[in-house]
Amino acid sequence: MTDILRLSLPLTAWLAAFSAVYGLQGLVCSDRWAEAGLDLTAGRIALTTAWAAAVALQLVFLVVLHSPRFTSRSAFVHGVSRTLAVAALVATLWTLLPVVTTSACL
Amino acid sequence: MNALRRHRALERIWASRPGWRGKLTTVNNNDIGLMFLSLAVTFFAVGGILAMLIRAQLATPRSAFMGPDVYNQVFTMHGTVMMFLFAIPLFEGLTVYLLPKMLGTRDLAFPRLSAFGFWCYAFGGSLLIVSLLAGIAPESGWFMYPPLSSTLGSPGINADFWLLGITFVEISAISASVEIVVTVLLYRAPGMSLDKLPIFAWYMLVVAVMILTGFPPLILGSLLLELERAFGMPFFQAAAGGDSILWQHLFWLFGHPEVYIIFLPAAGVVSTVLPVMARTTLLGYGWIVAGAITLGVMSFGIWVHHMYATGIPHMGLAFFSAASTLVAVPTGVQIFAWIGTLWKGRPEMHLPMLWILAFFATFVMGGLTGVMVAMVPFDWQSHDTYFVVAHLHYVLVGGFVFPMLAGLYYWLPHFTGRQRYFKLGKTAFWLIVLGFHGTFLLLHWAGLLGMRRRIDSIEPGSGWELINLLASVGGFVMAIGFALVLIDVGVNVAVTVRGRRNPWGAGTLEWAMPSPSPSYNLASLPKVHSRNPLQDDPDLPVRIARGEGYLGDPGSGLREILAVEIASGRPSCLVIFPTNSALPIVMAFVTGGIFVGMLIKIYWLVPLSVLGVAALAAWWAWSLGNRGDLGLQPVGHGLVLLRASEVARPPGWWGSLFLLLADGVFFGALLFGYVFLWTVAPNWPPPAWLEPGLSGPLLALGGAVLAFGGIRLADRAIRCNAGPWLGLLLSLAGLAALGSAAITVLARTTHDAHAYDATLWVVAGYVVFHAAVAGLMTVFLVLRAGAGYLSARRIGEARIVRLWIDYAVAAAVLGLGAAWLPEVLT
Ligand SMILES: [Cu+2]
Repeated sequence: MTDILRLSLPLTAWLAAFSAVYGLQGLVCSDRWAEAGLDLTAGRIALTTAWAAAVALQLVFLVVLHSPRFTSRSAFVHGVSRTLAVAALVATLWTLLPVVTTSACL
Repeated sequence: MNALRRHRALERIWASRPGWRGKLTTVNNNDIGLMFLSLAVTFFAVGGILAMLIRAQLATPRSAFMGPDVYNQVFTMHGTVMMFLFAIPLFEGLTVYLLPKMLGTRDLAFPRLSAFGFWCYAFGGSLLIVSLLAGIAPESGWFMYPPLSSTLGSPGINADFWLLGITFVEISAISASVEIVVTVLLYRAPGMSLDKLPIFAWYMLVVAVMILTGFPPLILGSLLLELERAFGMPFFQAAAGGDSILWQHLFWLFGHPEVYIIFLPAAGVVSTVLPVMARTTLLGYGWIVAGAITLGVMSFGIWVHHMYATGIPHMGLAFFSAASTLVAVPTGVQIFAWIGTLWKGRPEMHLPMLWILAFFATFVMGGLTGVMVAMVPFDWQSHDTYFVVAHLHYVLVGGFVFPMLAGLYYWLPHFTGRQRYFKLGKTAFWLIVLGFHGTFLLLHWAGLLGMRRRIDSIEPGSGWELINLLASVGGFVMAIGFALVLIDVGVNVAVTVRGRRNPWGAGTLEWAMPSPSPSYNLASLPKVHSRNPLQDDPDLPVRIARGEGYLGDPGSGLREILAVEIASGRPSCLVIFPTNSALPIVMAFVTGGIFVGMLIKIYWLVPLSVLGVAALAAWWAWSLGNRGDLGLQPVGHGLVLLRASEVARPPGWWGSLFLLLADGVFFGALLFGYVFLWTVAPNWPPPAWLEPGLSGPLLALGGAVLAFGGIRLADRAIRCNAGPWLGLLLSLAGLAALGSAAITVLARTTHDAHAYDATLWVVAGYVVFHAAVAGLMTVFLVLRAGAGYLSARRIGEARIVRLWIDYAVAAAVLGLGAAWLPEVLT
């Protein structure tokens, strides 16, 4: 079971972070955000912070999966889980890049 | 005991009853796999005939062949049948038939569940065919966007057939997936650790988890739309606080992963067949596994690329455009691994290989147009045109049908035990491939010239006439090709000579048994040391037949099978499988009452059928387990193991865990819908938030503590061989309190006043339902304890019930919390 978690956790975390940031962007652009007295600059800061946190989480996964304490006893699972963690990191960097490159609510 | 006597003894234990009645009561994976396959092929023929009708209509401008109302039903049913009644059941059937064999075991994890799933598929599919024959088939397109599919756009019964029929069929996909996950994780030949899994098993593990997480949003969407249609709960009506875009989110949360759910099994077939055809081993096994997992997860992060034209802000579009381009990377990794495999081998141009090459060419082209439509500006131009229609046929026919045909010709000797003799297949190959490209390559062009999808006629002078005429000719050529494949297979099954075992020289275990395979698949379970056991040891089939593996002694007269530890593949316990039974078909029939009752608006039939299903499920579960501790049992080679009923986490626990995963995704999608409406829907906030009051939250809190603590108290009592009564009673009281807390929510809202109230009704209904299910399971546990089925060792059943109680508690706390939160905040 823990081997299955090693294989699935980083990418699942990417998916969760990706969906959460998309949801946050929806919230930032909704009337609820303005009703709470917040503006678009605050929205941009929130989005960028969320992105940075997601990247940091992926880095933690990479380090943990490298560490002898948490790595799998199976060389195969070790190798594949590391590949998947790198893939999740790249996905987090690339798919959430728009938080700093495009307009938020147009 | 010689091989023949062992064979006869095992057949007596595992075979279904003789004659056609045997098919109604069979739980054997060979029968059910073939039944799935033949029904799926039948539906393929239905979908194909509908496609021909479409091409006949569009062959000439202003065709009078069909009126718009008939045409709408025809294209809706073509997409629906091909997606839900052909593609998914076909690979389910293939998997049900082949997976246990490849894994070196005797059957799937839950044989009766396989049968139940098949009958749900057969009955649900029949509902849709009935609607088609009666001329009242769904007509809103296969993705059923409201308001076109709500009572506003489709007042008749047509859309209800889709929502209810497809949900009924979906039960079979969910049950097959639970089976597949538990089978791959627990039921394998001894020694088959994760790195030695046949590559097809990895793919199917990913696909099954994807179905468990991808289908629940669609089931939820169908439920909500049906509730709107039947009871006026306005989830998708903007005027009453709903939003029709919510449907699109729920649908494509399912719909995009669905594309990969269909592609990945086909990729699994390619990864299995290609190395054998190239006389080598698969290059980059680990990379392919990583690619499949990445593809599986990433496909959940790109659903909005189907919704670029709905007015989503740029940043949202950019997220999904970026993710959609990224998906090409793991797909590319697999394609390069296949090319590398070809490179290092010596490919032989047998028919399966030809189909794989056709797959390569077509799928790569479909993938590239996929990257094109992933680009927002391009998509805005081509949205809802024939360019998209052509793209999706390239990926679905090229990426699924062609590899499946490779698989068909590859495993045909295994299915029939005969040598392919008549060579019609090659003619069929050329007709299908040329016909396919003749149709859909041209239709890209029609799309670029602005031809919209789903139009029922084309105007003279539009510039699309010649393209459509040629495409129709291509379509009919392709149809002749498919008919030839059927004839080819039929002729080869009927009249050719017996072939030898393993004609391709493959290394996986499905070839280590006689063909067609006996009902028990393997006379004994081999010990596995590599990914290609047959290549290491060509004598393996003989030794398996001689009973030299595990469980080679049929003396017990029971359906015996081994479960293994997930990671290492070391044998962990002995499982006794249930025998033939009419229970699955009866239960599927009674389940049908729920859907038919909703469909023809005889609502009393619905709760009655639910009660019937609950009673049958209890009967089903009662027949399992034992009343005494049997202790360690010999399984061969001096190894002794406990029965599965005497381990803390029996296969049923794992099955429940993965079923609850799907259930949890369903609930998550529901909460997502709630938050989505709250943020985006135009007519929010509702006139008033629900007041929690005092009684509801107190009941919920007390109930959660009692239910959670009670089952743990009972668990401890069982472990000490004491009576679990007090704990179970407390749990029951707690669940009743949770249900009552949810009922206070129902009592304080009106279901059709506003989308907010309607959502709270579904959330509270969900909590009541789960409290009731967990409650019934607790009562069942009380009866089981009374009848002596539980002991310190036989605690597995209590652990299963504990899982369900914990889930009910979590759902209640989350769901009721979400219902009360807005009022608390404001
Ligand atoms: Cu898609």
